[in-house]
Amino acid sequence: MKELSSIPSSKIQRTSKFLKTGAKVGGNYIKHYSKRMFDSTVSRDELDEDNAEDIYESLSELKGSALKVAQMLSMDKNLLPNAYQDKFAMAQYNAPPLSYPLIVKTFIKYFGKTPEQIYDTFSRKAVNAASIGQVHQATLGDKKLAVKIQYPGVSDSITSDLKMVKPIASAMFKITAAEMDQYMGEVESKLVEETDYSLELERSIEITELCSHLENITFPKYHRDLSCERILVMDWMEGMHLKDWIATSPSQEARNKLGQALWNFYDYQIYELKQVHADPHPGNFIISPKGELSVIDFGCVKVIPNDFHELYFKLMRSDALEDGETIETLFYKLGFLYEDDTNKEKAFFSKIFIELIELLGRPFQHETFNFGDDSYFSQIYEVGDKIAKMKEFRNSRNIRGNKHGLYVNRTYFGLYNLLNELNANIVTGKKYLMPA
Amino acid sequence: MATTKLPKKKTTASKASSTKTTILKKYKEYVLTHGAEPRSVFTFAHELEISESEFYQHYSSFEVIQSSIWEQFIDDTIAGIKKNQPYDEYSNRERLLAFYYTLVERLKQDRSVVKYTVQGKLKKPELNPPFLKKFKSQFFEFAEMLISDAYEKEEIIQRPLLSDRYKDGMWLQLVFIVGFWLKDESEAFEKTDGAIEKSVNLSFELMGSGPLDLMIDFGKFLYQNK
Repeated sequence: MKELSSIPSSKIQRTSKFLKTGAKVGGNYIKHYSKRMFDSTVSRDELDEDNAEDIYESLSELKGSALKVAQMLSMDKNLLPNAYQDKFAMAQYNAPPLSYPLIVKTFIKYFGKTPEQIYDTFSRKAVNAASIGQVHQATLGDKKLAVKIQYPGVSDSITSDLKMVKPIASAMFKITAAEMDQYMGEVESKLVEETDYSLELERSIEITELCSHLENITFPKYHRDLSCERILVMDWMEGMHLKDWIATSPSQEARNKLGQALWNFYDYQIYELKQVHADPHPGNFIISPKGELSVIDFGCVKVIPNDFHELYFKLMRSDALEDGETIETLFYKLGFLYEDDTNKEKAFFSKIFIELIELLGRPFQHETFNFGDDSYFSQIYEVGDKIAKMKEFRNSRNIRGNKHGLYVNRTYFGLYNLLNELNANIVTGKKYLMPA
Repeated sequence: MATTKLPKKKTTASKASSTKTTILKKYKEYVLTHGAEPRSVFTFAHELEISESEFYQHYSSFEVIQSSIWEQFIDDTIAGIKKNQPYDEYSNRERLLAFYYTLVERLKQDRSVVKYTVQGKLKKPELNPPFLKKFKSQFFEFAEMLISDAYEKEEIIQRPLLSDRYKDGMWLQLVFIVGFWLKDESEAFEKTDGAIEKSVNLSFELMGSGPLDLMIDFGKFLYQNK
């Protein structure tokens, strides 16, 4: 009776807190990066002139999966600086937390039992908001568990959201509806996959087993018997989120150790497993008290097809860039250039892409690479801004790039940013990039 | 989710009660296979191989049967919440949520019957169709308990004139939810879950102390001091 008098208000607080955190983190990102961006020669007026602002405005009005698509398209076309993209990522799903009765209902639907009947303890409130669900803490015997529960109706809304965004996106990026389809198909299938927790469970188990030999990286144990399409159960990982960990000002050595673990994890997945955790978002990692990296979310896994894999990483080899003929063939195959391009267009786009590839592939060309080097990142942003201003890109009849590249690029962008935040100086090697 | 386990009605003589359940069961079967009422009590009783008078002993008309079907729904719902949910520990907002979720689960077991009995009769919820009579009075009983407890816990506040209508508001909400669910074509009626979650949250925000009161208060102040 008594203790209940405060529940409703705290519930409201909870909701608004989720929103506030999202907004605050997003705001920080902007502040953080915009300083860096605008320090360089690019002034805000110039940006305005080139309608980057317009795109930003129209994007910020989109919600849910629609937002995600626009976000990724813009990333792929290099239209938006990463700073904005991060803000969008935060704003993605701002659903209020599920009520406890709905949680009980979901449990009864899938297991025929209430959470209390299954677990020894079960937190009534969500301890964390995941992108399309929320996380509760539970105990069973001496085990502490994280129980992730999906918001109802998410998978339905994806398809309808995408239908909505299609005309908007094609107008915004001047892409014909037909060309849009190849991207949309890719994005939709990935988003729908993310809502299938059974699939996530299988993938998590598979990838974590395959990666278990990697150093300084740990994975939670997943519990198949307690999970279903909408509920995913794994061990509770103790530790801190990346941001909080960095705030404790860890030693350079610790940062490097963590950064190296992160790099090796992605390297191994991309080159050996050919499937990759394609969402290197800070919220998907936890730093254990021992300073090890824990990966807690395998919602978005991109399987990299063999032929694309070969083409794409040929590009990253330093010698490829010097060989004009090879590079042109690769560009055609990857959809950077098209047969119906004019000679002028060909020259223009080749030049841009070579510049981009050289820049993004730079860590691979060195034995070690210092991701704490902000000048490298401001170069990336500069190029991004430059491309955003190029009318040729926005007016191009064809989508430049490959649909598989969408997620691989997103992965690298995310990874580089994480390493930059870690200020890590690590061995990047060329282990996988040497010609066979 | 089969249509099993209809808990027996409390305590009547067992034989009479079994006839009563048989009538109810057969009636459901009849309307679902024929899509219409039996032509008369006489033909229906004949089909059941009971006398007309035996029928009238239990039900005075087909409408009364429909009414008890719905009464059963709400009885099962209220029993269900108390069984499956930590009802006593809930806030009243959560109680109402739990009520609607359980109700929809219960109705799901008899969706065709619900569809048949409703058939557009919920378009004007204030009309109070006869088949919902007992259901509605039971719901009001539940709602009144919930509302008075919510006052006590300060989840919602009393307002002149409006307070007495809270339960009517909840009734409209229930009618809305049932109507939404009947039209819902999403997988496992997930959209109905969303409709429940959002409408209950909204209604509790509205009944609780909020900007509305501050606006009225401010308006009053201006009026008195102009």
